[in-house]
Amino acid sequence: MANLTAKQSWTADDAAHLGRRAGFGLSPEAASALAAQPIAGAVAAWVDGTGLDATAFDGVWADRADPVWLGPVGRDTSIPGAVDVPAIQAPHRYLVDGADSWRNDLGRAQASWMFRMQYHPHAFAERMALFLHNLFATGHEKVQSTALMLGQIATLRRSATDLSAFEDLLVAVSKDPAMALWLDSVRNRADGSNVPNENYAREVMELYSLGADNGYSQDDITRLALALSGWSFTVSEGQRISSPARPTSFTASGATFRLYDGGALPAGTYRWDNLGAPATTVPNRHVNATRGAITFLEQAFDVSQVPAGAPAGWVAGEDALRSIVRNRDPATSRRPRCAQFLARRILTHFVTARFTAQDLADVAARIEALDFDLRDVLVELFQSEYFHAPENRFALVEGPISWVARAARALCMPLAEADAATPRGFPAWAQVAPSFDAAGMRLLDPAGPNGWKEDAAWMNSTTARTRTRLAAALALGETFTQGSGAGSTYQLFPTAVDGAGGWFPSPPADQAAVYDRLVALLQPAPIAASVRDAWLSSLWPTGSTFVWDGTGTGQRKARQLAFLVLCSPSGQRY
Amino acid sequence: MAITRRRFLQGMGATGLAAGLASCSHPQPGQPATGRPARPILVIVNIDGGYDWLNVMPPLSGPNRTLYESARPTLAVPTTGADDLGGGMGLNRDFAGMFELAQLGRVAWFPGIGMANANLSHFVATDLWGQGSSAAAAGNTGWLGRYADGAFAPAGDVLRGITVTGDVPLMLRGSSRSFVSITGASGYVYPSWLRSNGRLPATWEPQLLENGFTAAVQEGVASGDPAQLAAATAERLFLDAQNDFGVDGTLAARTPAALYPGDPGHPIQGVSTGLARQFKLIAQMIAGGIPGEVFFTRLGGWDTHSNQLTDHPRLMRALGGSIRSFYEDLSLLQTPDGNAGERTMILAWSEFGRRVPENNGGTDHGTAGLAFCVGRGVKGGVYSPYPDLTRLDRNNNMVETVDYRRLYGTVLQGWLGRDQAATDALLGARYDALGFL
Repeated sequence: MANLTAKQSWTADDAAHLGRRAGFGLSPEAASALAAQPIAGAVAAWVDGTGLDATAFDGVWADRADPVWLGPVGRDTSIPGAVDVPAIQAPHRYLVDGADSWRNDLGRAQASWMFRMQYHPHAFAERMALFLHNLFATGHEKVQSTALMLGQIATLRRSATDLSAFEDLLVAVSKDPAMALWLDSVRNRADGSNVPNENYAREVMELYSLGADNGYSQDDITRLALALSGWSFTVSEGQRISSPARPTSFTASGATFRLYDGGALPAGTYRWDNLGAPATTVPNRHVNATRGAITFLEQAFDVSQVPAGAPAGWVAGEDALRSIVRNRDPATSRRPRCAQFLARRILTHFVTARFTAQDLADVAARIEALDFDLRDVLVELFQSEYFHAPENRFALVEGPISWVARAARALCMPLAEADAATPRGFPAWAQVAPSFDAAGMRLLDPAGPNGWKEDAAWMNSTTARTRTRLAAALALGETFTQGSGAGSTYQLFPTAVDGAGGWFPSPPADQAAVYDRLVALLQPAPIAASVRDAWLSSLWPTGSTFVWDGTGTGQRKARQLAFLVLCSPSGQRY
Repeated sequence: MAITRRRFLQGMGATGLAAGLASCSHPQPGQPATGRPARPILVIVNIDGGYDWLNVMPPLSGPNRTLYESARPTLAVPTTGADDLGGGMGLNRDFAGMFELAQLGRVAWFPGIGMANANLSHFVATDLWGQGSSAAAAGNTGWLGRYADGAFAPAGDVLRGITVTGDVPLMLRGSSRSFVSITGASGYVYPSWLRSNGRLPATWEPQLLENGFTAAVQEGVASGDPAQLAAATAERLFLDAQNDFGVDGTLAARTPAALYPGDPGHPIQGVSTGLARQFKLIAQMIAGGIPGEVFFTRLGGWDTHSNQLTDHPRLMRALGGSIRSFYEDLSLLQTPDGNAGERTMILAWSEFGRRVPENNGGTDHGTAGLAFCVGRGVKGGVYSPYPDLTRLDRNNNMVETVDYRRLYGTVLQGWLGRDQAATDALLGARYDALGFL
């Protein structure tokens, strides 16, 4: 059984384990500092982001996060008022949202999120967004809007703060514009005799709350599709963005959920499928009272209207969706199944893929007891003896996004030092994002709504090969040049072996000290002594003198050793 | 020079093939099959997303046609939009090139293929198609992975099973080995990035790094820790594969012998070229002497819950056109083991067909599917009953007419050369052959 009682004390190794699983790693110094605090308060603060200051991050984010130049965009000469968009040749933010939504560049959207994973102080929020992006996997290829995709990620990020109740999160995702496009909610109409589109109704149970064949029938899917018919969204004037080069071509920088029930719209509001002209009403796409009287999961609902006494903000059909988590009637409740479904996902991502049936039941029981509050569940889990048990340490193969974000946090200079470097900027993520597909996780663009399989499934020959490419960029000092002249060549990832923000705060005495420091930074699973010895003897052959020089041999060897650690089998575990 | 529809036909004639209509429900090739080659190649095409094959091979007459038209007021393919396969079946003209291949007797069709008690889930159905076994013990192995367990040398033969997708699906996972994933013809070396551009300072020592990596991988594959073993096994596959993959991890360049969809001059433009790219890579591997015996490809996008009128024709053109080009390309490729076209058979499958009644602009998940095999070793024809659309199940889905494992059994024996006992063991039971090989 999973021993979910809280540890009474913890060590720096335990804190480092928390840092890897519930964030993107901690430096040895930070892990020691965290472990000096009582575990209960420290874990809660880690999850909640208590006391963190994002001022520096926000400052860099606003105008210096991405130094990679953007080419000009030629105007469409057939459209009156079109103008050329000049090239951007200076550091800037990632230009994927707000007024820049028209650029709709997936690679930059991926880069923007990676930058947050690397540098945002509240690492747990980014970890939760990554975990939930795999659960509620939504793909840009169909959504075709980086702004709406990142809007969904922002919603998922809120699971770490004000949206930690799973029932509310499930509803928020169901009302999310990117999801509405991805799984066809915007095309689900059940007015009159229309046959509902059941895409979302199926997957919200199969993939997002219960699991395949776990307590629902095809009839339940069809009926839930009736309940969710007409769930769509609108776009305000301020959210309607056009490209200066194509002013009659519009996209949305954001959107608002709206039930398409035939009702009136405020002035200056647009339907999602016609951003060219404002609408005064939305069409009625929702099921009527006759067909809306349904039995769903053995409970009766009238999903044609908002139930009496419902909280503000509920819409018609919402009570049926919520019942998956909300219904406590022992005869018909799906709470145990939902809790078990969530427990499986949480264990596989945060603890181990080799849990027992009893472990699963134990964690599911706590999810129910804590009323499906993900924050409370994870705070309890992260303090538990089970989470910190030796057999669960390094028990998982790390996903490629987590792996590369963690390696970047470990090896790159801190934000302030990196931002002070010359030339200034963070070109890495926009450059390496095209590798994410071959690494096994095309961030923001999964192939299907089931996301990515985790643990051992992350690894195959192509993904292993791609990790060597990413490791080389990080450890071996790859550079990137755009433009010409002074200041046009960047270190792709800003790393320093020693000096300010470097890997070695003080010069190592010998090769063993180099190895120990790199292992402490990168935190691979234990590496066999024979492998360590083989590496060290090839880098520093017997009889050679250990030299730690500022620019030459010693640093080159340290970089190669870091590369080997990152690429090794042990380096794929966390 | 543009390839026109007429030139397609002439091209077929140039390869020495005559036309002849494959009739329904029994094999009737237009040209005698070439038989099982000494070194067969199997190319799997995963039509991912559950394709609406009812609009690929629509009923043209009879009660099925009547039901089809009433269930699909906006999506039904008009009879003028399909070529007549005989037996009341048509082939959508957007399924470009496939009718010509059918006329030549090079396609075996399996309408209604599937499984009993399908649950309409993409992922469950894909896993079941992947496992391909009656035995629950098949668990996390697939039918081709198990085949590789027995047929490929335990330490070697790395390049006999290749997926050109970036993932390795369950179908390709065995208990002792897995297929190698190779998605490009160059840079397949360690450390790949170091050798493929000049953006790194020239201070690293590639041989030292390769030796160090190899030492760690060798240690890892002996590990008892499942995570360590998974990582090390994948890394060893990469290391082993690169040794035999071209020169410095790069295959010789090859210009395909046929134009593919999306190529300048090909009549099919504006469609996904992903499958064409995968086929070209496979042809390049075969031409380059890579000893691949089983290849896996995928074309996604078939989950047409909406916008089907626009999306589905494009998908069909990409699928049919790419298969047609691949067939032509390989027919013009000679290998030391024979003509690549005679050595190669394509097996295309999808996890399910779609709901017979349409929703608003699309179709929801269904049950019975359509698989097909293409090749010069195939006896063309239709090998399973077309589902009776007037007798749908309670969810308005078709009832399967042939078990998908019969197709696997036929391929394992008739193409890959397993004997009956071995085939039975791989599939967990005896499945009657379908007679197209």
